[in-house]
Amino acid sequence: MLLSYQRLGSWKWVLNGIAVLTGVFLLVPILFIVALSFGSSRWLIFPPPDWTLKWYEELFADPRWLESMLTSAKIASIVTVLSLIFGLLASIALTKGTFRGREVLRAFFLTPMVLPLVVLAVALYALFLELGLNGTLTGFVIAHLIVALPFSIITISNALESFDQSIEDAAVLCGASPWEARFRVTLPSIQHGLFSAAIFSFLISWDEVVLAIFMASPTLQTLPVKIWGTLRQDLTPVIASASTLLIAFTVALMVLVAFIRKGKKS
Amino acid sequence: MTSPFLQIDGLKKQYGKVVAVENVSMTIEKGEFMTFLGPSGSGKSTTLYILAGFQDPTRGDILLNGRTLLDTPSHQRNIGMVFQRYTLFPHLSVGENVAFPLRVRRRPQAEIAERVRHVLSLVRLEGFEDRMPANMSGGQQQRVALARALAYDPPVLLMDEPLSALDKKLREEIQHEIRRIHHETGVTILYVTHDQEEALRLSDRIAVFSKGVIDQIGTGPELYSNPSTRFVADFIGDSDFMRCQVMAVENGKANIRFADGSIASGIPTHGNVLVGNETSLMLRPERIDLARQPDAMRSSIPVTISDVTFLGNNTHVKATTAWDDELAVRLPYGHECVQGLSRGDRLFVNWSPDVAHIFAE
Repeated sequence: MLLSYQRLGSWKWVLNGIAVLTGVFLLVPILFIVALSFGSSRWLIFPPPDWTLKWYEELFADPRWLESMLTSAKIASIVTVLSLIFGLLASIALTKGTFRGREVLRAFFLTPMVLPLVVLAVALYALFLELGLNGTLTGFVIAHLIVALPFSIITISNALESFDQSIEDAAVLCGASPWEARFRVTLPSIQHGLFSAAIFSFLISWDEVVLAIFMASPTLQTLPVKIWGTLRQDLTPVIASASTLLIAFTVALMVLVAFIRKGKKS
Repeated sequence: MTSPFLQIDGLKKQYGKVVAVENVSMTIEKGEFMTFLGPSGSGKSTTLYILAGFQDPTRGDILLNGRTLLDTPSHQRNIGMVFQRYTLFPHLSVGENVAFPLRVRRRPQAEIAERVRHVLSLVRLEGFEDRMPANMSGGQQQRVALARALAYDPPVLLMDEPLSALDKKLREEIQHEIRRIHHETGVTILYVTHDQEEALRLSDRIAVFSKGVIDQIGTGPELYSNPSTRFVADFIGDSDFMRCQVMAVENGKANIRFADGSIASGIPTHGNVLVGNETSLMLRPERIDLARQPDAMRSSIPVTISDVTFLGNNTHVKATTAWDDELAVRLPYGHECVQGLSRGDRLFVNWSPDVAHIFAE
């Protein structure tokens, strides 16, 4: 191969150096915030003069933080379920359908990925004002569903495309009714795709802040909105501990995805 | 009168203006191995899909033991099928794959276990129950697919080019397996292939498909020795064609004249061969004899040798007629003409009129 790693000679070290720098660039802010959340300084001094868990205690003592976490989890869970259902149905239409305009529809489904979030947020805000959905759980779910759905559709479509229709036909000839074949053969065969879609959908809603700021009300806030709001009022290490929890949960889910991917390959 | 086991009656399938199959009729005996042979697009797979119930015919009927199959949906037809592509359920083990048709039929657990063991031993994959399909070779996967299709004892087993994804050596090995399994189970098999050698090796009878219709149905030897159309002659076995003109036709035998003026008479005709037609004379390469002299008792024309290939038990000779038709001739080892034969030699090809054929074109 032209770009064989073995043949790069001294370029290998340059390449390794760039890789390490990229990793550091991506990781340092995260490690920084994690370190600060355990630091004793009220003013987020780095390196921390001493270590403490008091910011976490403060975090868990404040019902508003817990409430926002719960809200985030609730919204993300509903978004995940709906994103899976709609994503699966849309993917079936896009991969198995033979109707006109299928490619146009596919592109249309993916527009929320390329549309600037702020534009979408303003548009939804204006629309929800009319409908009275701002500051409601429904409003949050709809907004997050719009941005989660493209990821769900891409992941599930890919899984369905690599699934051979003959396998479903074989199940039918084996005596399974068409619906039985779909539930007992097709869905289990694309379960990796469904898992990935679920986790991506959850994470997109869990991390999302732009739409959430527009949708939020003083009584209904997601965790990222709460962090954002608190940050604007006063810079406290509680934000760092809230961020750390957010990161920890995200990392846990990503690890889960990695394990599922690995399971798929073997 | 008892009705035939399986009867395909005047089947036609049309997509828009394109006719995929037309006028396909045949009866199949219980336990018979029938092969649909033809090039791609000849309608053989379409016919099989109609049998499976994946497609509905535009016209015609399929009768199993005298009763139509067409109003029964695929999953209730109780037909087994092995597909061209690997269709094992990827999330289930080999044992669960084979058990699947029995589970959807809600058979008791003990019977399922017994049946899975039995059919896996039939395809010689005992002890593979816990293996996942992804960890098996293509040949093994197709054997599991065969076991799965046999698990519920279907009256008819459909096979749609099941070996086309495998390499030649493996293909021959599994052909033997299929023959053995056919003998052991007595299941009726309808087999689709484009490989004439595979068809000859496996089948009791072969239906040759061409452009959506069946050209001929018969045993391998029948098709080889007495093809009814030029297509069948060309598709099954090797054949030589020589252009000629029909001079006279009487009692199904024709007298013909070649471009160099040589004539041959008493040649069997197939189809509507008319006097004056330009047509071709067909011969099997091993039926042609090469000689230094013309043979007065047989048909005979002069040729020029254009290539000689020694292949051990056979010598393949290419000979060109005066009007530039090329003939393949196969001479057995030790044939008197082989010694010293080389390019440019002028000899004669001789053949008995009754082994040649003339087709309506």
